[in-house]
Amino acid sequence: MSSKKDILYSLKRNIGERYDMPDIGLLEGIIYPDPLEKFIEVSKAVGGDALVLKPEEDINVFIKSHYPEAKTIASNLREIKVATFDPDQVEDPHTLNGTDLAIVQGEIGVAENGCVWIPQNVKHKGIYFIAEYLVIVLDKAKVVNNMHEAYKQINFGEKGFGVFISGPSKTADIEQALVVGAHGAKGVTVILR
Amino acid sequence: MSTKHTKAAEHFLSDKEQETWHNETLWFVREKRDRMAFSIPEWEELREMANKIKMHTITHLDTYLEQFTDKAEANGVVVHWAKDAAEHNQIVLDILQGLHAKKMVKSKSMLTEECHLNDFLIRHGIDVIESDLGERILQLKGEMPSHIVLPAIHLKRQQVGELFEDKLHTEKGNSDPTYLTRAARQHLRNEFLTADVGMTGCNFGVAETGDVVVCTNEGNADMGTSMPKVHIVSMGLEKIVPSIQSLSVFTRLLARSATGQPSTTYTSHFRKPVKGGQMHYIIVDNGRSEILANKKHIQTLKCIRCGACMNTCPVYRRSGGFSYTYFIPGPIGINLGMLRHPQEYSDNVSACSLCYSCNNVCPVKIDLADQIYRWRQNLDSYEKADPLKKTMSAGLKFLFERPGLYNFALKFAPLVNYAPRFLIYNGLNEWGKGRELPRFAKESFTSMWKSGKVKPKK
Repeated sequence: MSSKKDILYSLKRNIGERYDMPDIGLLEGIIYPDPLEKFIEVSKAVGGDALVLKPEEDINVFIKSHYPEAKTIASNLREIKVATFDPDQVEDPHTLNGTDLAIVQGEIGVAENGCVWIPQNVKHKGIYFIAEYLVIVLDKAKVVNNMHEAYKQINFGEKGFGVFISGPSKTADIEQALVVGAHGAKGVTVILR
Repeated sequence: MSTKHTKAAEHFLSDKEQETWHNETLWFVREKRDRMAFSIPEWEELREMANKIKMHTITHLDTYLEQFTDKAEANGVVVHWAKDAAEHNQIVLDILQGLHAKKMVKSKSMLTEECHLNDFLIRHGIDVIESDLGERILQLKGEMPSHIVLPAIHLKRQQVGELFEDKLHTEKGNSDPTYLTRAARQHLRNEFLTADVGMTGCNFGVAETGDVVVCTNEGNADMGTSMPKVHIVSMGLEKIVPSIQSLSVFTRLLARSATGQPSTTYTSHFRKPVKGGQMHYIIVDNGRSEILANKKHIQTLKCIRCGACMNTCPVYRRSGGFSYTYFIPGPIGINLGMLRHPQEYSDNVSACSLCYSCNNVCPVKIDLADQIYRWRQNLDSYEKADPLKKTMSAGLKFLFERPGLYNFALKFAPLVNYAPRFLIYNGLNEWGKGRELPRFAKESFTSMWKSGKVKPKK
């Protein structure tokens, strides 16, 4: 017998009483008076930043002024003129190393924890993690209250990968001292509009 | 009466400063957890929901695992099944050798610790690199994790600084955490870029979609699976959740319970292999399916490995992870160790004051303390009951069955209060070690009651 059969047999043999699945729909997740405000507050609390772009502000000017030192800037978003290259044109993800800043599109913001859902919308998912700094562009109408609402809406797309990102990469593995920028982005800004 | 735990704890306690720091730091994490929990009005309902989803899932693992496998295979994932640690390790090695892989970069996985995977692969010539900062520190130092979420919590920054001086050639005497973390970032970035295969553990496997979800703060699981084209997932079979929607319950609980964060930085959902690459899931039993038949301990299978029970445990905080003989310490580790091998790991069951704090913080409501109590009741059946305690119990039984003798003994008990210290606090009295004994009352309750000195409150 294969191990799969053995294990399934062992499970069937050992399972006694079978418990029912509860109705998750009965659980009411927290609702905020102003989810957008809460999202911005939590994004800052987790070490990132989030702000609403004013209608008269230009996103390219904004990015340039916020990341004046970024030289290698990756984005596959058409409107991002400050990008120095399109990461989708890169064949080997290893060559993404050395990217100073990446600007990517997010799909859903979550007020309770500052998460932004990004279904893989670039050729190599590595760009979300390898860039020194990350900017996520998000429609401010797409901020939901909590994870229950978020998971009802998430889509995956063809690439079969999706990630919630909440703030910059961090660690406290040395004496519980918080250090931002472990392996991923050292800073994350969510631009809402 | 000394157990291996008490002896090791004595060593841990000999460094008073370190012990205080360890205790206070973990309590601080517990307090952060409380703040997070209290900020969610439906927190208790969330725990109850998580408990019910897990009880349902673990008692339907046969059907869910088949569904999970079918979905994953339809997504192009190769699914392997391993009955035990040896089979798991061999599957990993076969995959690596089939690819002529030399280097594998790993993100944190307690299951691979359980299987002793690293040693096995290294013996077979594979370069295995742990990429979680804490795990990497321990790998370079040749140590085991002392906590399942905060693996290097037992180390001071100076120790890490000295280790990095030696291994990563950092500046002499520099133990600044930011400096050291940056050095590790640079060092591990190179490992990510040169690895042939990336391995991760698994926080959740979603039956309805075949997805695997991995939660990290550092982004190491993502770096490790974004550069190499091959991703191996090692997962315990109890990691299944039924649906995407049920993930919302667990992702809300996990980081809040573990570190007091509203979410981990990255909650990554893997569904398909990268283009031109491979994805492998290894579903591991290693004794888990047997636990399903054990009504007294079945709830351990609900565990989502958040570590909250360790952070809150007064014994863990003041004795450290290395005082336990099983590789997972704290309340959950006591139980998992006993399920693994009761004769071998029974030393840990005494590392509990039955304060029940673990039960109250566990996000999936495992009856941790009740289980520890149950193990203690059965120690004699494993021939692990303490002989001194057994003798005393027999003595007390003799006394309790003879009221006359009991009352006579009680009358003279207060004399102990006047006995010289050396008679009470000596090698024979374990309860007199490290603590002051309570004083016997001058008069027993029974005699006070009989003489009308005790009156019920009106």
